Amino acid sequence: MSLSRTVRHAKAILTGFKYLFAGPRLTLMYPDDIQELPEGYRGMIEYDWDSCIKCSLCAMVCPADAMKMYVSKEESEREGKVVKRPGINYTRCIFCGFCVDICPTDSLRFTKVHDVAYYTYEEQIYPPAEFSKGVPRPLYLREPRKVRAVLDERRGIRYEPARS
Amino acid sequence: MISSGERELELLIGPQHPASGHMRLVAKVDGDVVVELRPNIGYVHRSVEKLAEVKKYLQIIPLVERPSLADTTANNLAYVMALEKLLGIEPPERAKYLRTLLAEINRIHSHLYGLGIHGVMIGSSTAYMWCFGDREPFLELAQELTGARLTYSYIIPGGVRRDLPAGLGERAERVLRYMENRMRDYFNLYFNNPVVRARLEGVGVLSRHDAINLGITGPNLRASGVAYDVRRAEPYAAYPELEFDIVTEEAGDSFARVMVRVREIVESMRIIRQVIRKIPEGPILHESYEKLIPPKLRESMKQRGMVKFPSVFANLRVPPGEAISRVEGGRGEVVFHIVSDGKLSPYRMRMVTPSFRNVILFEHLTRGVRVADIPAIYGSLDYFPPEADR
Amino acid sequence: MDILKLLFEPYIFIPLVFPGLVAAFLLLLIIIWLERKIAAKVQLRYGPLYVFKPLGGVIQTIADLLRYLFQEPIVPREADKLAFLMTPVFLFGLAYLPVVAVPISPTYYAFRSDVSLLIVMALTTLAPIFTVLMGWSSNNKFSLIGGVREGYLVISYEIPMFLSAISMAILYKSLDLVEIAEAQKGLWGVILNPLAAINMLLLMYMSTSKFPFEIPEAESEIVAGPYTEYSGIIYGLVMGASYVKLYVLSLVYSILFLGGWNPLPINDPMVAGAMLFVKAFLLVALGAFLRAVYPRFRIDQAISIGWKIAFPLSLISVVISLLLIMGGVSLVVK
Ligand code: SF4
Ligand code: SF4
Repeated sequence: MSLSRTVRHAKAILTGFKYLFAGPRLTLMYPDDIQELPEGYRGMIEYDWDSCIKCSLCAMVCPADAMKMYVSKEESEREGKVVKRPGINYTRCIFCGFCVDICPTDSLRFTKVHDVAYYTYEEQIYPPAEFSKGVPRPLYLREPRKVRAVLDERRGIRYEPARS
Repeated sequence: MISSGERELELLIGPQHPASGHMRLVAKVDGDVVVELRPNIGYVHRSVEKLAEVKKYLQIIPLVERPSLADTTANNLAYVMALEKLLGIEPPERAKYLRTLLAEINRIHSHLYGLGIHGVMIGSSTAYMWCFGDREPFLELAQELTGARLTYSYIIPGGVRRDLPAGLGERAERVLRYMENRMRDYFNLYFNNPVVRARLEGVGVLSRHDAINLGITGPNLRASGVAYDVRRAEPYAAYPELEFDIVTEEAGDSFARVMVRVREIVESMRIIRQVIRKIPEGPILHESYEKLIPPKLRESMKQRGMVKFPSVFANLRVPPGEAISRVEGGRGEVVFHIVSDGKLSPYRMRMVTPSFRNVILFEHLTRGVRVADIPAIYGSLDYFPPEADR
Repeated sequence: MDILKLLFEPYIFIPLVFPGLVAAFLLLLIIIWLERKIAAKVQLRYGPLYVFKPLGGVIQTIADLLRYLFQEPIVPREADKLAFLMTPVFLFGLAYLPVVAVPISPTYYAFRSDVSLLIVMALTTLAPIFTVLMGWSSNNKFSLIGGVREGYLVISYEIPMFLSAISMAILYKSLDLVEIAEAQKGLWGVILNPLAAINMLLLMYMSTSKFPFEIPEAESEIVAGPYTEYSGIIYGLVMGASYVKLYVLSLVYSILFLGGWNPLPINDPMVAGAMLFVKAFLLVALGAFLRAVYPRFRIDQAISIGWKIAFPLSLISVVISLLLIMGGVSLVVK
């Protein structure tokens, strides 16, 4: 056993000890803490019924066929022609945000909601009417604490209670 | 079962094995010595190339990202570069810098991913947790820039989708300082750990000659002493204006491959600092696309720093022709070849990923090693089965 | 009635009830949790936490045990069923058996023998046979390789470990663990013969497959080695066995090198036992901590450590002991 190897063993063990007693922790204590996502996070999508001009661009650009145009029966009858509005299928959506970026009227918007659980497949399909009602609120067993990720020089990442 | 008189035992490592990944390694062992090891790939083949023929050009962006989930930017960038060649456009300077920024952040966290998996393959759960933990700040940076943790789809024809958020440079600097400090502990606890050295040094040696002949790419090539890096060989994005060294190691063993990755992380941090210092002001989307966006929208898009797509993106038409692009991803050279016949989808798209080029090393490096060396070599190659299978 | 009386005979009560099994199970419960906690802290995370949060998830092991209890134990069709099911029981039992010869205090022990050190060391060599058998009976290639690896390791750590222990016996001129511990009222064995102490510590972790010698069950190579096919509570047994073995060896180590129950503030068996337990516990905890520092060696490297490093070192430590004796260092307090 050479000396340098012994020194390296010692260094490894001491470094381990250092972290045993004083080391940062990077864990986000989900679901007790949930992270406030940054501005522009590509989460679930909000749809504004009124400003939509029914151009279908969102459905055309969608790479996953998640966004589809549905015939809006009521409106079609009222206006005497086929009127189509977008609906989303979250079983397919990959959150690429292309639809939001291409929408010429900003009728589609990102929200920061991401962690929603569903019981059934069908629930995750939102035809236009449901789509326009906004994104579902995630249900938590206990009301979680909102935290913010702070990038830290000493500890890498730190989760601080968000000032909302 | 072994019949009498037979010396070799056939081991099927994977696809249901803690360290096989989505593949099967068919090993013939004689006692503890591997006589032959054949990788059996294709378990996660997703026919990306064929799918691309029925998807529209913009829709292919998320598609090409999916196979290499830890290293999405390389595929995204390479694909878009080929597309831009066909379209005959060149992104604005600022967009080039932003592309470089994301590519380097991605390289760091892709390397950390590879190092972490390698760590747990030789039994160090600490290396695994550390690498995956320290990916987190980098993912956070990327998330602030792009809005997603891994599947960025950030690079689009003619530019990028988001501008640099306010204060990101400062936050990135903090992350880089953190990582630099941590590097010392990584060396003390892991890279210089005598057990790690014993497991990796001299294991799976790839000679310079073989590395070139087998067409190996990326850090695995550079670990055999070949200073080849697409960022230098065929500069793209903002790399011509940036200073960085091509990291090489001479030994060609598993440890050299690990060291190349570690030193590339340091090099990438240097690049990120330069990008943040040097990034020019200006638009982030090519003017020919920007002028297609309605004026009101253009204003709000500039204010928010988030690009709106012009409506032509929904049905992007690409002039007929062929284009090839090359990008140095975290795992090596990514090549895209697009053949367009002027329709809405490519006539043919070829995607060559670094993992596919490196998979031959499983057979080449494992002859005569010990069973325990299989994961030590596997991990050092940073091989990612979905990327190879596509 | 007779059975009850038999139960309270010291040679039954001490090893099988208190402190014996009670202490062993207490240690098992705490150490498995602690091992995960220690690794977690070094690895920038929290580890088990939610099962009884006020104490940091300390009863996580009980929850795991319950889960093992209710999990279906699957016996592979091709396995040698009798051997497959019996080995975990023997493994656990034999890993624990050496504790009968370990004294708890100068006056409190199951039985006292002139050669108790030899008895303990001899009994510890029995358990690995069942690990090898386990690998064979599972009828799984990975299990087989794991069993063979265990066999190789046994050969390479057993002899130097024995020699290291013997070197201390030479120094104290006794094979009786009570006498050995009593002899360390002044200087501890670890100071007299540090080489033997380090060597034995290394071999102790090697014999119980602690990192960096976690070779027979190397996950990324051979899934779980001999334990690959085990599930449910029988898996829980085999998992516990290696901890129990480490605990027993740690008790012996504490007596050989760390003064046993010395220094003793008051002469009470409870205090003496607690002292010994704490020392053994710390040794087990150190083994748990090493998991966070080291990856694992390759089998050939471990074997060469056994023969090329540990074996010569153990011979040297025997020589050191002899020199100390001949040099007239009569530190042995009688
Ligand atoms: S986010 Fe992407 S996948 Fe989801 S609906 Fe929009 S375009 Fe389609
Ligand atoms: S949501 Fe936007 S893109 Fe989709 S149809 Fe309405 S206006 Fe067009």
